[in-house]
Amino acid sequence: MGMEEFKINDKNKLTSGFITPEGYFDNFSIDINNNESQPETDKKVIFINSKRWISTVAAALIVVLSVTIYFKIVTENTGDYSKIENYITNHSEISQYDLINLLDQKDIENLGVELNSNSTKIEEEFVNTNEIENYIID
Amino acid sequence: MEEKEFISNLLNPQTQNSAFEKLVSDYKRPLYNHIRNIVLNHDDANDVLQNTFIKVFKNLNNFKGESKLYSWIYRIATNESITFIKQKAKLTGFLESDLKIKIVENLESDTYFDGNEIQIKLQKAILTLPEKQQIVFKMRYFEEIKYDEMSSILGTSVGALKSSYHHAVKKIENLMNKD
Repeated sequence: MGMEEFKINDKNKLTSGFITPEGYFDNFSIDINNNESQPETDKKVIFINSKRWISTVAAALIVVLSVTIYFKIVTENTGDYSKIENYITNHSEISQYDLINLLDQKDIENLGVELNSNSTKIEEEFVNTNEIENYIID
Repeated sequence: MEEKEFISNLLNPQTQNSAFEKLVSDYKRPLYNHIRNIVLNHDDANDVLQNTFIKVFKNLNNFKGESKLYSWIYRIATNESITFIKQKAKLTGFLESDLKIKIVENLESDTYFDGNEIQIKLQKAILTLPEKQQIVFKMRYFEEIKYDEMSSILGTSVGALKSSYHHAVKKIENLMNKD
């Protein structure tokens, strides 16, 4: 083409330049008897409205998440109480005086009911405890 | 044979095989050229051509006759070619545009390319166009497909196709006349 200006609508139109191997088209065949290439028969299509489909997926997702979160919380709440107790004993900075200050008369009465403390039981406790003197001194 | 009759032969199990053989015989050359212009490489074009015919056969029952058989088959071939390029790019880790540049740069050593320097330059110039414009240009320039037929294949209006081709021509002429 040299110095000639290239024009698309030129009479000497360019071809793509692509060629095929010799005899390619003569030997070209498609194996349509293969089972995989049988025409697809009409299939029953279940029409699902796209909005409904999205809602269904969203609902399913919410259920799955709720169940997962619920079981996680339940698992967390059923922890080892002795560990918690030990942790409080070893790490808590609350003294017995703090506890006394936090309790009012009603709480103390309730404790009495829960512990079922009566004079007989207290006497028995004093008799059976060797460290009674230490308590008296305190 | 009229198209309606040919289509009913394709759908009839009794005549299906012979009708399909005729379809392959009629379409293999133009369809190969169409696919090759998009995928650029012979082996890839062969794979896509095979897939296209298999897809046509498998979906014969879904052909409603709303468009011409010709347009329907070309649409399948075009989509198959575009999908093939996308998948190949993904597999090789290239961008689609880079993959095509690589193929065109290797055309000189391609056994199944007998073009000269100008033809390679034209292929390189085509690659500078947006993807759809490349297809429009190739279909019009190399395959000489009419605008109305192209419109039913690509689902784009004739006006838009003419405009797209006009812009493509301008850009390609500029690039070809550089240097």
